[in-house]
Amino acid sequence: MKINRRTSRATVPSMAMGDIAFNLLIFFVILARMQDDNHLQWTPAKASQLESAGHSLASVLIDEDNKLYLNGQEIGVSQLAGQIEEVLGDAPQGERTVLVKVHNETLAQRFEPVIEAISEAGGDLVHIVEEQRE
Amino acid sequence: MRIARTTKLLVEPPSSATGDIAFNLIVFFLVCASVQPDSGRKQTIPSSETVEEDKQTENIEVALTRTAVLVNGDAIPNNRVVSRLKTLLAAKSQPDEKVVVVKSAPDTPYNHWIFATTSIEDAGGVITLQLEEEREVQVP
Repeated sequence: MKINRRTSRATVPSMAMGDIAFNLLIFFVILARMQDDNHLQWTPAKASQLESAGHSLASVLIDEDNKLYLNGQEIGVSQLAGQIEEVLGDAPQGERTVLVKVHNETLAQRFEPVIEAISEAGGDLVHIVEEQRE
Repeated sequence: MRIARTTKLLVEPPSSATGDIAFNLIVFFLVCASVQPDSGRKQTIPSSETVEEDKQTENIEVALTRTAVLVNGDAIPNNRVVSRLKTLLAAKSQPDEKVVVVKSAPDTPYNHWIFATTSIEDAGGVITLQLEEEREVQVP
């Protein structure tokens, strides 16, 4: 008598598919949206009539220690305009947003050349500030 | 024969899934907390160009010191800067004339600068920065 071999089917449990998809989705959302300069220390200035910054291609930050960063990487003022031009590339007007995050006590001799460099590179400046509450 | 009715009202979720549920909740709230949309103020600053001295005199000049705002040389209290600029800009009809030259002292803090520049924009002016030109001097 011939006994049939028992075949066992190994399948991925379909119950977990939803969880896996959800976790992958969140993982890519974090990768896409998370800015590299989250770890830097700075206090925003206050202003009124704020609007959403929208999608940005670059983020320039001056921290508490007066150090300058472009997308989380430390950089010198002299290199800033060229680097921003590279990042912005051929992006059309309206999609050349550059976020400017300056510590509220930074002095003009430090931040004005930075603003000048962004303007020179053709970036649309958006100062990241806090809503002023009266 | 009487059969006892089984009343099983409480249905417990499978305990094997609680770990997954907790993990997903943690990740969800982490994303909500870390990905907050940035809000700020857009600012249009014309690209730098060499402006001759005699042309600058036609525009309104705002000078910033560490704590004060001087409009055309007159110190103005912070709460009156917008109204003063509005009055001055009302007399200007051409868009070119609405350019306001901002000249900051080196020790002007950013929070004071942002207050002054947003006031200029609120009054309808167009900001132009006047920076001190750096010159390299070679010592023999």
